[in-house]
Amino acid sequence: MSDTKATEAGRTLSPTTGESVEVTGSRDKLGVWMIIVSCTTGTIALLVSYAYLWSLNVNGAWAPTPGSANWAPVWPFWVIFTAMLIATLIMWNGYRSLREGKVGAMKSAALLSSLLLLGAFIGQIFQIARFPFGPADGAYASATLWLAIANGIWLFLAVFLTAAIFNRTRAGRVSVENPNHARLVAMFMTYLCVAAFLGCVFTTVMQESPNTNSPPFGTFSQ
Amino acid sequence: MSTAVAIHEEAHVPQPKQISKPGGLLRRTNFLTALISGVVTAAVFWFVTDKITSAVAGAGATNSMALPSGLNINITMMYIGWVIGFMAGIGAFAGPIRWFLGHDLTHADAEYMAGKDMGREKFWKFTTDHKVVGIQYLVVTLVLFGFGGLLAMLIRTELGATWTEVFNPNFYNSIIGTHGIVMIIAMIIVISGPIGNFIVPIMCGARDMAFPRLNALSIWLLIAAIPPLVSNLLMGGIRDGWTVYQPLADQAPIGMIGYQICIITFAFSTGIASVNLITTIVRMRAAGMTWSRTPILVYGILGSSIMGLVWFPMYQYSQILALSDRTLLTSFFVPSSGGSVWLYENLFWLLGHPEVYVIVIPATAGLLEYLPVFVRKPLFSYKLAVSGIFGVVGLSAVVWVHHMYMTGWAPQSNYPFMMSTEMISIPFSFLVLVILGTMWRGKPWKRLPMMAVYAVVWNKVIGGITGVYLSDTPVDQYMHGSMFVVAHFHYMLMGAGLFGAMGVISYFFPKMIGRYLDELWGSIGFWTAFAGFQITFMSMFVAGLQGMPRRVLQFDSLFNISNWISTIGAYIIGIGMLIFLYAIIDSWRNGIPAPDNPWGGKTLENFTSTPVPHENFPVLPVVTSGPYDFGTPDPYELADDAIMQKTEGAEKVSARS
Repeated sequence: MSDTKATEAGRTLSPTTGESVEVTGSRDKLGVWMIIVSCTTGTIALLVSYAYLWSLNVNGAWAPTPGSANWAPVWPFWVIFTAMLIATLIMWNGYRSLREGKVGAMKSAALLSSLLLLGAFIGQIFQIARFPFGPADGAYASATLWLAIANGIWLFLAVFLTAAIFNRTRAGRVSVENPNHARLVAMFMTYLCVAAFLGCVFTTVMQESPNTNSPPFGTFSQ
Repeated sequence: MSTAVAIHEEAHVPQPKQISKPGGLLRRTNFLTALISGVVTAAVFWFVTDKITSAVAGAGATNSMALPSGLNINITMMYIGWVIGFMAGIGAFAGPIRWFLGHDLTHADAEYMAGKDMGREKFWKFTTDHKVVGIQYLVVTLVLFGFGGLLAMLIRTELGATWTEVFNPNFYNSIIGTHGIVMIIAMIIVISGPIGNFIVPIMCGARDMAFPRLNALSIWLLIAAIPPLVSNLLMGGIRDGWTVYQPLADQAPIGMIGYQICIITFAFSTGIASVNLITTIVRMRAAGMTWSRTPILVYGILGSSIMGLVWFPMYQYSQILALSDRTLLTSFFVPSSGGSVWLYENLFWLLGHPEVYVIVIPATAGLLEYLPVFVRKPLFSYKLAVSGIFGVVGLSAVVWVHHMYMTGWAPQSNYPFMMSTEMISIPFSFLVLVILGTMWRGKPWKRLPMMAVYAVVWNKVIGGITGVYLSDTPVDQYMHGSMFVVAHFHYMLMGAGLFGAMGVISYFFPKMIGRYLDELWGSIGFWTAFAGFQITFMSMFVAGLQGMPRRVLQFDSLFNISNWISTIGAYIIGIGMLIFLYAIIDSWRNGIPAPDNPWGGKTLENFTSTPVPHENFPVLPVVTSGPYDFGTPDPYELADDAIMQKTEGAEKVSARS
């Protein structure tokens, strides 16, 4: 990661490495893509776990324990996702404005995006605390809880990143000459939106297991 | 971040304001502060968690987020505290905080962090220079092999002493599990760590890795991951093998948490290292180093990094969810409340099998890298080698189910996966063919690295052929869970992976350390270990064919003889490895100083002086020819104009004392 402080022969140079920011930016972009690939595999692991347990309904214990627990309301997932989506669009808009020379718009976008994501993060914690089930209330509860926890962790990271972009834009590190970090954060937020969207779809569409007559699998208890 | 000097001298880039002395907080942090911070933070996390869980339990809370109290969650939080505290104590968080606040590194900061002019102290700090990180990886790898090897000796002692029980059965099982995972970790990093970090950037013609701070982060995360794993032996151990299948792991003692925290942390380390290596290789190769001029070792590291990047999160999540089952009482893998043990096995083996190739591909590519140097011939069918590497990378995604033939999961899938597993032997055999083709009618220069080639070909053929048998579902029904399987995977992982790594390290040792590895003691150690290896595992094949199950403490007297022979072989391996270790340590201190081009190679690391200077190259090289353009069959003709990959400005670059 580097910043912009000097130009030579029309090129903006990073003070840390002395290379052109196009060079460091291209490197950073590939690095973020690789991180997204890795994170995607992790997201797939969670989604596959959800879908697998949903389809198998092991020992008929997918659904929340009747009487003491229930399915989670779907709308909070979508509200949080919508906040993330708006924050991401704002971030991209800020980046586009920065490319057009509007530094103030980038600052505003980063601040607004950060606040929206902070709201979504608080909402995520609130949602987890208000789930109508406990972690031990069946496989659905486990899978849904972890989708929410993972989203909460991503939201925390996104708040950190967008707030950093706000700070860095104020400090002149993110600038018209070197907008790379703003773009990288927007890229990563786009991935988070896709992951959150898939989580919303899964928790909305896959509640009652289609396997209503699952065979007993045993308990493997000691 | 050491990519600055040469460019700065020319460009005079204005610097941000230097807030404090270069390095800032990192001037005060080192391994000792990391240890202290780790222990203190672990204690604080334990104390706070204990108070919170006690309070929740005391309040009789029954809402959804009332966490189950008890030892599991306390131990988990203690380990998490250890990792966070250790990383804070080494200074890993200084960079992100500075970045957050908009205080970027100055050039002086970057030079301090790269350990310029720092002396040996840099090896104990959060140093970003890739060469320092490479040496740190080498030392950590040797320590892990020493520990894992010691456990192997204990296992064989128990199995060889057929007249008595040496260890308590539970402790024996713990030794098995710990040996397995320690060796797997060591094997994963043995090439990608030391060689990938030290040599690959130089071989690519770069001044450093793409992300030097992430590079330091990866090694220190690895170091932070080890104590939780080792400490499991004091807390009931890992009794379920390195695979820690569910629901055994869920019912295991608290030592299992150390395993889980270790793997979660190690997966972060591996992911970060993979991102760094891939970006360095793709973006930072020297001008003129097209893909067809890229050394084969670089391809091997690239393929290995891709597999690690894509598949490690599966393994990581399998452990996160397993830990959640223990601490939060979720039920991902607990069948009584809707979980599935098959889910665990799928997530685990989605990395578990590609990991074999993560280990073997870099070792094989390393052999292919130096083989042309020792036979003074071009690499036979460079494109076949590249396609072999990426064929393995591609097919590695569709072979994991062969570990689950006998579990009852989706029996219809057994035959497709049998086919895919057998198919992966095709690209793998490409690599063996390239080795044989390169050696064909050559006049090998008989030095220690070259000896490793012969050893690996032998081991790989045996490991590969027995692997084809095991991938057959009908054969696997008989062999599954037997010592035959143990012998097979040792032939692949140790026979091809570790012996290959010994060759690769002995080849690059002069460049990394500045001294040749002692040929006499190195060879004695290598061949002693090789002989012991054949005795140990050939005998184990016999035991397996006789029907001896794996992971058992007591067995029928029918298997006594093969176990005695295996144990004798294991002790011989131990002696050989100790001799090899002596050769490394002695050569490190007293070895013959190496010239800039220790073996007469043509790749770029041979263009710079030995020891490698701070910025790797005074002037960045431009590549104008392939890495294996050997025209002369005489390995002793070391005239520079005949042996080096041609570059512009080579006079400057190759100037040496």
